[in-house]
Amino acid sequence: MTRYDAIVIGAGHNGLTAAGVLARGGRRVLVLEKNAGLGGAAAGYEIAPGFQAPRYAHLLHAWHPQIEKQLDLAANGLSFARRDLPTLALAEDGAHVVIEGGAARLLSGAAHPDAAAYATLHRRLVRFAGVLSAKLLETPPQFHRPDWRDLASLAKLGFDVRRLGAADAREFLRVLLSNARDVILDEIGDGPLAGALALDAVMGGHTGPRSPGTALTLLYRLAQGGGRHLPKGGMAAFCTALAQSAQSHGAEIRRSAGVAAVTVENDRVTGVLLDSGETLGAPVVLSSLDTRTTLALTGVEHFDAEAVRRVRHIRCKGATAKINLALSGLPAFTGVDPDDLTGRILVAPSVQSLETGFDAVKYGELPAHPALEVLIPSRLDPTLVDGGGHVMSIIVQYVPYHLKDGWTAGARERLAATVLDLLERHAPGLRSLIVAQDVLTPLDIERETGAPGGHWHHGELAVDQMLTLRPVNGMARYALPVGGLYLCGAAAHPGGDIIGAAGHNAARQAMKAPQTKTEGHAA
Amino acid sequence: MSGRYDVIVVGAGHNGLTAACYLAKRGLKTLVLERSDWIGGAAVSRELYEGWTYSNCSYVCSLLRPEVVRDLDLPRHGLQVIPYESGATFTRDGGYFAYYSDHDALRREISRFSRRDADNYERYARAVMRQCRFIKPLLLRAAPDPVSNRPRDIAELLFLGKRFHDLGDREMGETIRFWTMSIGEFLDEYFETDVIKAHFAGSGIIGTGLGVYSPGTAYVLLHHYMGEVDGTIGAWGFTRGGMGGVTQAMARALIEAGGEIRAGAGVAQILSKDGKTKGVVLDNGDVLEASTVISNMDVKRTFLNHVEAKDLPDDFVKAVKRFKIRGSSAKLNIALDGFPSFPAAPAGAPFLKGDLHASESLDELERAYDDWKAGRWSSDPYFDMLIPTCIDPTMAPPGKHMMTVFVQYAPYELASGESWDGPARDRMAETVIAKIAEHSPDFRDLILHKEVRTPWDIEREVGLTEGNIFQGELTFDQMFFNRPVPGYADYRTPIKGLYLCGSSSHPGGGVMAAPGANAAREVLRDLGMKVSGLTPAERAA
Amino acid sequence: MTAHTLEKLLPQGTTAPRPMVQRGLAPSPFDARLRPLNLHQDWMPWAGYLSARRFDSVEAEYFAIRNQATLFDISPMHKYRVTGPDAERVMNRLMTRDVRKLKPGRVGYSLWCDEDGYVIDDGTLFRFGDDDFRLCCQEPQYAWLLDIAWGFDVQVHEESDEIAGLSLQGPTSFAVLEAAGLGQLATLKPFDVVKVDDDLTVSRTGFTGDLGYELWVPAEKALALWDRIWAAGHDFGLRPIGYAALDLARTEAGFVVCGVDFKSIHTALRPSRGRTPFELGADRLVDFSKGPFNGRRALLKHAKDGPRYQLVGLEIEGNKAPHSAYVYHRKKTEAGHITSTLWSPTCKRNIALAMLKAPYGVDVTGDLWVEIYHDKEGKWERIMAPAWIAERPFFRHTRRAATPPARF
Repeated sequence: MTRYDAIVIGAGHNGLTAAGVLARGGRRVLVLEKNAGLGGAAAGYEIAPGFQAPRYAHLLHAWHPQIEKQLDLAANGLSFARRDLPTLALAEDGAHVVIEGGAARLLSGAAHPDAAAYATLHRRLVRFAGVLSAKLLETPPQFHRPDWRDLASLAKLGFDVRRLGAADAREFLRVLLSNARDVILDEIGDGPLAGALALDAVMGGHTGPRSPGTALTLLYRLAQGGGRHLPKGGMAAFCTALAQSAQSHGAEIRRSAGVAAVTVENDRVTGVLLDSGETLGAPVVLSSLDTRTTLALTGVEHFDAEAVRRVRHIRCKGATAKINLALSGLPAFTGVDPDDLTGRILVAPSVQSLETGFDAVKYGELPAHPALEVLIPSRLDPTLVDGGGHVMSIIVQYVPYHLKDGWTAGARERLAATVLDLLERHAPGLRSLIVAQDVLTPLDIERETGAPGGHWHHGELAVDQMLTLRPVNGMARYALPVGGLYLCGAAAHPGGDIIGAAGHNAARQAMKAPQTKTEGHAA
Repeated sequence: MSGRYDVIVVGAGHNGLTAACYLAKRGLKTLVLERSDWIGGAAVSRELYEGWTYSNCSYVCSLLRPEVVRDLDLPRHGLQVIPYESGATFTRDGGYFAYYSDHDALRREISRFSRRDADNYERYARAVMRQCRFIKPLLLRAAPDPVSNRPRDIAELLFLGKRFHDLGDREMGETIRFWTMSIGEFLDEYFETDVIKAHFAGSGIIGTGLGVYSPGTAYVLLHHYMGEVDGTIGAWGFTRGGMGGVTQAMARALIEAGGEIRAGAGVAQILSKDGKTKGVVLDNGDVLEASTVISNMDVKRTFLNHVEAKDLPDDFVKAVKRFKIRGSSAKLNIALDGFPSFPAAPAGAPFLKGDLHASESLDELERAYDDWKAGRWSSDPYFDMLIPTCIDPTMAPPGKHMMTVFVQYAPYELASGESWDGPARDRMAETVIAKIAEHSPDFRDLILHKEVRTPWDIEREVGLTEGNIFQGELTFDQMFFNRPVPGYADYRTPIKGLYLCGSSSHPGGGVMAAPGANAAREVLRDLGMKVSGLTPAERAA
Repeated sequence: MTAHTLEKLLPQGTTAPRPMVQRGLAPSPFDARLRPLNLHQDWMPWAGYLSARRFDSVEAEYFAIRNQATLFDISPMHKYRVTGPDAERVMNRLMTRDVRKLKPGRVGYSLWCDEDGYVIDDGTLFRFGDDDFRLCCQEPQYAWLLDIAWGFDVQVHEESDEIAGLSLQGPTSFAVLEAAGLGQLATLKPFDVVKVDDDLTVSRTGFTGDLGYELWVPAEKALALWDRIWAAGHDFGLRPIGYAALDLARTEAGFVVCGVDFKSIHTALRPSRGRTPFELGADRLVDFSKGPFNGRRALLKHAKDGPRYQLVGLEIEGNKAPHSAYVYHRKKTEAGHITSTLWSPTCKRNIALAMLKAPYGVDVTGDLWVEIYHDKEGKWERIMAPAWIAERPFFRHTRRAATPPARF
């Protein structure tokens, strides 16, 4: 039997990051990917001949610079078509807003009435996010009988809060558990600018801007200043660079190699059993899959019933869908210069509209006006398309996982029609440009990526499922109760989005434990 | 009227009366001023229909701090709280789910719906009880300032930290979860039966501008469970004579301690000079001097209506304006010509003497919240309906009854632009009455008189901004050291000698008397007086 | 006020009002026979049912346990049937002992723990077949069993209200069975269980530490069973007993009662009230070698760290049982408290179960004292009586396990 120091299940961005960190730590690593392609939720694909599209996630957002450096991604082929993309927030009345570098202005060039207030708010929120962002790359501290590392971490957090100064420290503590709507509308009026900021708080989650706790998810999105970047070659190139980075240090990646079970002996992992029947040995297994699947692969009997119950109760109802389009040409947005289509384009006209969208999803209904984050990556990176066409990647926020009466073909049509109708209000004639169309409901996303409920965080990013409680009370430090078994994906701290922190932290945690190197490499 | 006092309390609500009692007992010349002709604020009993006494705002008692009851000797002054033992939610199919305080009966009742839920109820009750035990000692303590270096704050933070740490690893996590979860999701983890979840979830949304699936509502439920009646944690009771019994007893205690109360004496302005309190000006122009003024009004009313902005720091005013006080509740108080029949209830059902509801699923409750968010009253509202006359004979003639119906949700401002002071009020009342009538067909015919209180009415009559019963939302951005304004969570204000003692202060609303007692303690501290000596044990020593 | 008939008031298609559930304590399936026999109407609550505390006199009932034969209604016990291909795996996941070693036709006493290694309950596990178990215990466990069974192929059915149980205990208990036409049970060894017919299952189990049997029938057949045994017991001194008498016998036998000698961690408000099997002296019921079971990891740690408490048997000087008494070391340091106690008329010793705090009962086992308060007609006396740790069980007799059993 082939033996490794560590086996990583899932070659999504977290799994590949974990492998890269482990490989650099001198460990012999194998990454196992069920699908033929790599990348998980960061994967790219050919939507139509000659059209490369991001299948799910389309931008790097808060991708951690420390991890980028650690994995030498630049040396492994990662470059950017554009960093810090601007945002174009479309308004129903045509008074579109451009947000760039923490500043807002009207597309027309005039000043936005809330420009000063927005800039102040944004600056303050980024500052607050900075206090928390150090925690992204740390294993959550243990409060009960903390060791010196935990104490240092907590002390630093306390110190960082105080360093904000009394007034800002108070504001930080006030805002921390508040909701995005109040935090935003206390400072600026409702409209596309407020909607854009609120969308940051709720995107990817089953939550509305009025829900307490969304201030924290907003801060999460503003870590590292909240910049969004488009890799050259699209997300597929990003995944290739990640894979390269791990392989350049000796990690092996096997595709079309699904894992049937994690093998356990004497309460320690011994390796995995593949779907093919082959067994592979390793004293350490890191799973980038969600918690419930990981437990099932390992065997529920290896976990206490209470732990299983907690995992069963992890809330992971996805509320985000994806529509990918191959277009024969660049769509014309009314009142928008083609040069202004290089950033992300939002249809989130107000905080109110987001809340209304969420209200529908709560009952398994499709809202009349879901929020949209649209990207035309080929505008910035022509290499994605052969010829003069474009790809349009649309993240649709507020699409229920459990649709009342089910996701029939008709329901998918309705979703596509709702989104295209919304877009055609701003870009008439869009439909006539469509060469190919893919509609991915949360159900589809679950089926393809394994994300439970199609939830891109693998578990709601709610305060009671974050930090020391992520994925559940008692499993928050990556190590699962079975020896040598770790969670390294979005299910663990800090959560999803393409950050890589979970993979990085889990790998570090795994390397801290004794006995993570095998003696020799017996076959 | 003129005069000089040591302490003037603005507003004779239960917190103001409490604070006044504590201070008068220490020998301070204390005056309580009340704008209305009656005292009690939202804890009142009013004869709004001849022969009937209405607890027309607050209607049941649980949270009143036993320490305050004992310190102020309220039973001797007439306070008696009678627990009720049962309650039920009626369902549209003609059934019901009942809550019994008889544990065996409750188990059997839950088993009617689900055996698993019956077992899990024990776990649920235990989890909530653990939270009650954790939080109770914190209610009569002032919140620390986490940003200050004062020894007192650091000591309090360490006390709280230790208390939290002593819970142990698992329980610390469970506590954080409980305090940040929604009541809907919390209940979903224990129960599979819709009506059971809906029955328990109501306590998580009473008086609150949040829905059952909004994070933080498990805390609101805790807020409603952490009270007690005679040591039975979570029990609720009727005050004999209506909720006015509480404030009347406090008023008698105050008079006995040498304090004064003036009704019909509204305060127009709180006076200060050079950052120091000087006294108050009444609506009629009279000036009363005092170096200590305590406001029982909510923080917005106090500072935006009765203190000059120039006397306050800008960021303080901004923070006060930002403090969320959202009206979300309505009330119907009804005089009945007899006891309404509830055909779903079996003969002799004890639960008719308790709290009655008709919302049968969490989704229904959530939709009621959605209506409120959209600026409408809930078309299918949650209500907390009781007929106290079953147990309290003092509130209506024999054989006749008084019914109190607390309604969630009703917004302060209607999206339609209509005023509440018109047909909208009656239409909202009709929504509620129609829903009750679904379960009690002879109910309408028994109505002799009804008082309908919208958020607008509550604000106008009681002085609660937007008619919010808690003087401010109970969400974490404005609880504990954030209540009402970060940096001012210790009952003090930017003006020396001016204090807040109402529910806008920690620990929040409900008829608790904790803010009043805590504020009094801080006043004594600032006056350099001994803080202890208020309990009978201490007095006896 | 307008009058309405019930039919008119109910919406169309609905039935009459749902009947109210039983409030207060419910009668057991044997109630019709027990009520007339309970001379003092002395009842106590047990799992929501009426359970007799005593029928006649505790003394007489106790002596009947040790001298003749007794009947005690055990219907209020919680009973759960677990069946299916994974039934053994599930029960083995639940329990600390190795259930694989329990063969069909056998009964095993075990306890089970939560994830922190604290005892949830103890009970008897009946194995009817390879895939067929009945768990009999004090605390409601339905939801817990569902949690344990999640992910496994089993059915869990709550039989509590469907199965009535009668405990027949005492030196003439076999003679009674024989007179009732059940002489074939002579071959039943302790902890055997056998299905006599569709309506009757008999196990040689009990809570008295004496010769005895437990008889299980469908609830609707309870009275018929009672009549059969009652008639057969006429010549053998058969009497009904209440819990007061049983409690004396079981304490003599050294058996613990959940809720009395320790608190189920599932009902404890304070997590620190939890007790591990080691702390209850049940070390031999914990099998670490059998593979994963609930709480195993925590128990390994507890085994390494040592117990924080220890349940011990005590013998105390004098003849006044020290109810709810404190235990001291060297007369001055609190060492624990008495949980169950009696002056044993059979052993002629003053005995008790006590929960001591480590190191007492663990490393420090001598110089123990019990503080007893005597009410001498309104004058209270405080006595410090010396006590010493004693082996459990306190009562032992060969007749308990003799197979075939003696007739008296």
